[in-house]
Amino acid sequence: MSIPDPSILPAVASPVQAREKVLIAEDDPVARHVLRNWLQKWDYEVVAVENGLDAWQVLQQETAPKLAILDWMMPQMDGLELCHKLRGLERGAYYYVILLTAKGGKQDVVTGLDAGADDYLTKPFNLDELRARVRAGQRILDLQSALINSRLALQFQAAHDPLTGLWNRGAIMDVLARETERHRRSGQPLGVVMADLDYFKDINDSRGHLAGDIVLKEAGRRLVAAVRSYDAVGRYGGEEFLAILPGCGTEDLLLSGERLRHCIAGQSFNVGDAHICVTLSVGLISARLNEHPSLDYDQLVRLADAALYRAKDAGRNRVEDGSLARVLKQGAS
Amino acid sequence: LGRWNKGKALEYLSGDEDLLRELCEIFFRESPRLMGSLREAIEKQDALVVQRVAHSLKGEASYLGAAKTTEVAGKLEDMARHSDLSQAATLFMMLEHELEGLRVSIGRTVEEVR
Repeated sequence: MSIPDPSILPAVASPVQAREKVLIAEDDPVARHVLRNWLQKWDYEVVAVENGLDAWQVLQQETAPKLAILDWMMPQMDGLELCHKLRGLERGAYYYVILLTAKGGKQDVVTGLDAGADDYLTKPFNLDELRARVRAGQRILDLQSALINSRLALQFQAAHDPLTGLWNRGAIMDVLARETERHRRSGQPLGVVMADLDYFKDINDSRGHLAGDIVLKEAGRRLVAAVRSYDAVGRYGGEEFLAILPGCGTEDLLLSGERLRHCIAGQSFNVGDAHICVTLSVGLISARLNEHPSLDYDQLVRLADAALYRAKDAGRNRVEDGSLARVLKQGAS
Repeated sequence: LGRWNKGKALEYLSGDEDLLRELCEIFFRESPRLMGSLREAIEKQDALVVQRVAHSLKGEASYLGAAKTTEVAGKLEDMARHSDLSQAATLFMMLEHELEGLRVSIGRTVEEVR
């Protein structure tokens, strides 16, 4: 599997750069002070609360600490109940919980671990004990975050074209299928654009595939920049692109099509020292799907594709409208 | 001086004298409040509160290496857990006595540390 250009990967927080946060929930001010003092020395960002309810609130925040040191006996909500609640959360992130118990306390360590605690510490604990337990927790959390990062990278790879960073064919067709049904419901027009670089094969043949790749990459970048942020652009095939423009009627869509054509033809492509002129043929269709219940996303692509072929036949570097009114009229004549 | 084992306390704190002094200050600020709550709870015969406050006192004292205070508070906590407050007043007086002794011996040492 080829690795995509890192610049097109989604930004993922690195555990190395940001200071790790840790939550202390402890009603005893002496123990709280000890914990805070040591954890800060180890360069943790410490969030300290005095009862379980406050801890619960902190842990539900977006940027909540993933490492939590909870006193077993606390007012309002004890550490055990908090563990139960945390493990009941339907969320991807894992919290590493160290439960604090009093020495000689009757609480059974097994009860704490059963409730979902990862580890426990008996008070009074010393510096080395705490450090060892916190390190063990950090190892688990680092591993967890590495796994999440690689899953995100895989998800990205599965839906994106590695060369251009655009949606790949499967993903852009998923977008189209979803948007088709959404627009059928809302009654808004949906714009679909099929675009193809003209004489691309000649670039590959005369300047090599590397040059072709550079042109494709740059073309993808320009196309994305030429549409709205909520429009979707995918690489449909070799040098063929599919763009989905939600809520776009024929008039607006023709303007967008022209903008797409111009973003390629209007400026030459730099490949090494050479400046290559490239043009784009565009076929597009805007449809109100609520008025055409039998029209599905596959047919939208076919209609846009047919318009694209007309653009090619008519001399390339142009925009052709495949909208239904036009197609029906032609069919009648 | 037998009431307070400074060496034990420093052992927990890896010899951090500054941290120990801060903990002592917190303890002396907190313990009167805890003792007030404890007295009130014993008067009201509220075993649940006695148990909770004794637990806190036990936890704080354990960090200072105050073995006797930790032990007496632990005993009071255990008895309160079984809703037995028959010895509560006696144990409370013992605690007061211990804390007073602690205050003197810790206070002296903390001054030395400074």
